[in-house]
Amino acid sequence: MVGVLGNNGSGKSTFLNVLSGQMDFAGDYKVGGRKFQEISHTESARQIGFLPQEAALNMPFDAFYVVLTGRFIHSDGRIYSEQDVSQTEKAMKRFDVYHLKDRLFNALSGGEKQRVLLARVMNMDTEIFLLDEPFSGIDILHQIRIVDIFRQLRMEKIIMVVIHDLSFAIHHFSRFLFFRDGLLLYDMSRDELDPQKLSDIFGVRVGFVEQDKRMFVYTEEI
Amino acid sequence: MRLVLLVALLTAFVAGLSTGAVKINLLNMSDIERNIFFDVRLPRVVLAGLVGAALALSGVLFQYVMKNPLADSFTTGVSASSAMGAVIAIMLGLMPYIPLFALAGGLAGLYLVYRIASDRGRIQPITMLLAGIVLSTFASATISFMKFLSDDAVSSIIFWLMGGFQAATVSKDMILFGVICLSFLLIRGDYLKLDILCFDDTTASSTGVNVHRLRKKLFFAAALLTSFSVGYAGIIGFVGLIIPHILRLGNFVKASYLLPASLIGGAAFMIATDLIARTILQEGQELPVGVITSSIGGVFFLYLLIKRRKELFYFN
Repeated sequence: MVGVLGNNGSGKSTFLNVLSGQMDFAGDYKVGGRKFQEISHTESARQIGFLPQEAALNMPFDAFYVVLTGRFIHSDGRIYSEQDVSQTEKAMKRFDVYHLKDRLFNALSGGEKQRVLLARVMNMDTEIFLLDEPFSGIDILHQIRIVDIFRQLRMEKIIMVVIHDLSFAIHHFSRFLFFRDGLLLYDMSRDELDPQKLSDIFGVRVGFVEQDKRMFVYTEEI
Repeated sequence: MRLVLLVALLTAFVAGLSTGAVKINLLNMSDIERNIFFDVRLPRVVLAGLVGAALALSGVLFQYVMKNPLADSFTTGVSASSAMGAVIAIMLGLMPYIPLFALAGGLAGLYLVYRIASDRGRIQPITMLLAGIVLSTFASATISFMKFLSDDAVSSIIFWLMGGFQAATVSKDMILFGVICLSFLLIRGDYLKLDILCFDDTTASSTGVNVHRLRKKLFFAAALLTSFSVGYAGIIGFVGLIIPHILRLGNFVKASYLLPASLIGGAAFMIATDLIARTILQEGQELPVGVITSSIGGVFFLYLLIKRRKELFYFN
């Protein structure tokens, strides 16, 4: 589990877009030992599940069908199998959106939509998940449930998450990428974090408090 | 629901075949009636059905490509640019090549609208409509200019502008049938992809759909359908807008339902409107069918803009 942090416009989304192949880029990187530029479009979709920051749907599909479309790479391209349907049911239950399955996606609230989309991406069942602000608009109860699902998966999957809540990130994630001004500034583990570096990255004076063996991050007035 | 559509098509087909300037009893025809039936009535009704199916399907495809419910061959200006191609063929006296000229005109117009309206791969709906209007206006102006230049071709040109099925022949029916089959086969395996294309491009693409390739294919199929329809029956507006929208309201939402349904619904609608066009006036006079579809379509378009704004908003 990797947390990707940085101020707005610092390059986090660009980084994820590039990694998922949604944006042209110079250079290359390797996925599963192979150069990304040499992998076909379909193959990269089989390896990487990507949740963009803003998603839109312009057909009145129900939530179940939205999650089902995440199984496209596993289908034969013409029809979804029984297994795709049962996996979709499982994913929806896991993300606590099964009760919304017959509702129109576009009629859901912002947070519900986000959870449905998250269930959709996880339904792709890829090795790598790149999630751009998956927690935006989601209530704290579900944030905790979702991050718990990530933790259960952390041994088998790579999950890279753009996140803004520092305390939440420090508590749940073990590795961090920090961006500033379009540059990847630090790649740090939890132990390497210190207030000075964070203040430098975010441009706000940041301090740590420890309570009940848990780190909290506070910011000072400018 | 599918059954309802099929019954509607069958009813329209039988009514279209038996009613007209000469009423024909399908079960007991005289020799004259038989001639009228096989040489005139049948090819015409079949052509109406095929053109309706082609226009409705092309409308659906345009709506997938443009991600916009207001897109069809008429609003994107493709009909008008196809007609311009057809008129150029008439001017040059190349009657047999009318569909090819229409195709060239249609593709060129489509490319232009697409380039103007797309911003980094996303199509801006409002820009698309404006570009479509500009293209239509330009094509109409060019057609008027050519009408002015050539006196002899005027009546055939007017025919293209109004739209109608008077010039139906069995061979045209067969070619158009072939074009529809070809287009349909081209996209038949892509139902799931079409549904995924309804998401934003990034989501669709990262789900495993090659968005650009699919879009090009859809564009080509839609332009092919439009051009041959225009080449054989002139400009008939709004069919591609009305039919898919009504079908979506009737819960044909997924591509696997919507595409076949639009073929059947389009055919039924067109046969029925052609029947109205050729029977509404007394003594065998005909109204151009485009007049009827455009007037129904215009009102419908207005209804869409006013009543279903919320839904249109989803498309942005």
